[in-house]
Amino acid sequence: MLVKKPINILVAEDDDDDKLLIIKAFQKTLPKKSITCVADGEALLQYLNRVAPFDSLELYPIPDIILLDLNMPKKDGRTALAEIKSHEDFKKIPVIIFTTSNLKDDIEVTYKMGSNSYITKPGSFDGLVKVAREIENYWSNTVKLPA
Amino acid sequence: MAKIKLYSIISLILIMVGSGVSYWTSQRISFYTSGLMETQDILQRTSELYATILERETNIRGFVITGDEDFLSFYRQSLVDAQLLLDQLKGLTNENPVQRENLIKLEALIKERVEVFELTVNYYQQNGSLEGFVSPNRVNSALDRYKQIKMVVTDINDEENRVFVEKNRSLLNNINALPFIVGMISLFSISVGFITLFSIFHYNKAQQIAAKRIQNYQEKLQDQLYLLDDSNKELEQFAYVASHDLQEPLRKITAFSDLLIEQYSDKIEGEGELYLDRITVAANRMRRLITDLLEYSRAGRENSEKEVEIDLSSIAENVVDDLEIAIHEKKAEVTIGPLPTVLGKETELRQVFQNLISNALKFSKPDIPPQIEIKSVSATQDEVLEYPMLDPDLEYYKITVQDNGIGFDEGYAEKIFAIFQRLHGRDVFEGTGIGLSISKKIIEKYKGTIYASSEKDHGSVFTILLPVITS
Repeated sequence: MLVKKPINILVAEDDDDDKLLIIKAFQKTLPKKSITCVADGEALLQYLNRVAPFDSLELYPIPDIILLDLNMPKKDGRTALAEIKSHEDFKKIPVIIFTTSNLKDDIEVTYKMGSNSYITKPGSFDGLVKVAREIENYWSNTVKLPA
Repeated sequence: MAKIKLYSIISLILIMVGSGVSYWTSQRISFYTSGLMETQDILQRTSELYATILERETNIRGFVITGDEDFLSFYRQSLVDAQLLLDQLKGLTNENPVQRENLIKLEALIKERVEVFELTVNYYQQNGSLEGFVSPNRVNSALDRYKQIKMVVTDINDEENRVFVEKNRSLLNNINALPFIVGMISLFSISVGFITLFSIFHYNKAQQIAAKRIQNYQEKLQDQLYLLDDSNKELEQFAYVASHDLQEPLRKITAFSDLLIEQYSDKIEGEGELYLDRITVAANRMRRLITDLLEYSRAGRENSEKEVEIDLSSIAENVVDDLEIAIHEKKAEVTIGPLPTVLGKETELRQVFQNLISNALKFSKPDIPPQIEIKSVSATQDEVLEYPMLDPDLEYYKITVQDNGIGFDEGYAEKIFAIFQRLHGRDVFEGTGIGLSISKKIIEKYKGTIYASSEKDHGSVFTILLPVITS
């Protein structure tokens, strides 16, 4: 049986604590190098466009899914989402909104903009681990991703 | 404005009085004018009458000298003329007793003279001459009578002249008075007109000032509204901050203490784990309080949901369905009587019933299965009047949620609706004490009221008064 290649997750998250918690949670099921973090929307777009310092394909692989926080400095999640979903190559990458907001407006607007999921950050670490497992399981086992 | 009305009325009255006086004066003028004409007429006729007398004398004289019968016929004609003139004069001087007396005197004198003339004519016709008829005595008498006639005629003329002068004076007085009266009235009217104009000017000015003031108030009010709007936005911003930014660190506190327990539980000694637990519990409670506070601040706020007619029966049934597990666990019995249809938002009314029914389940006696009865009747006028926030002109439904639970001290009946107000320790009953305050806020938004009554250990009744939908 072929060993499944782990999915690459790119996390756009400005908060260091959240970044740490998210990485910790995903590391329960994924190898460390599968999770990459950028601090804001601008860095996310630079990463996708392979602009320095994200020009090493070794260090910064093409992500299978993107976890996007909405409230970030510089370029926020909504703007980044709009840019990704209007880009010919990037729009095929599933974007999961991962935010503290549970505002109806945010949910509706981001789905309309083409996001693929909307997850409100759980309150506890256990909750976060659960969500991380579900994300990993769903996007690597349940669904088929574009090559 | 009242002043202007008064001034207008005054000037109108003045103009009317002025017109009246002018008309009256002109009537007087025409009266005196016709009086003058009459006097002239009298004078004219008197002199004509006098002329007939002279004419008769002349004709008689002519007849007795020549014997010509023509003189006699002239004489007769002048008799008729004289009588006609006398009658006319009597008519004209009807109102003047002096003249009337004079005329009577004159008539008598003329009659006397005519008698003498008749005698003379008869004598002449019988004798062919006046010989033996004319005597010094007769001549004297004739002269005397003639003088007398002349005197009376002079008297009549004098009297008439006097009347003429008098009437003329009155006429002149009236003619002179007319412009004076008209002038005075005009002056008054003009003055009042000016005062009115001034008043109008003054009034306009006052009105302009008032309008300006109202405009200022409106602007101020608008500013206040903007400020209110701003502060509402600020509150919303606050709610947003409370819901997100304040929760962020809390979430991390719990997450990291979870992580700590998970990764280092074997290294934490003594009461370390208890402390970590306490940290998590406190953080969770704070998060709950924050979300409840946020929920309270959002309760009853305008949102996209429209107020429609809501059947409370189906709301209550849905809530009972939702609470099925708790109802089953507690072996509770919930009876829902016929409930009315009211105006409201489904989510909000659902929240109210959810709070009331779950409270009734929560605060039940441990050993007795809860019995919850929900029903509705029409509120009486007295019940409506008891609550000043209700409109006494409207009709209300009185919806009650009654239970057989632990109840509470009647003294807390109002306090329990305050935000975060709890009557029991958290170790006995969980919750933040937000449910009833949210319910109250919602019911009050619908122009209704909610109150509770209870006796400790004997259950409680929560009563909602909601307005009947008017067509």
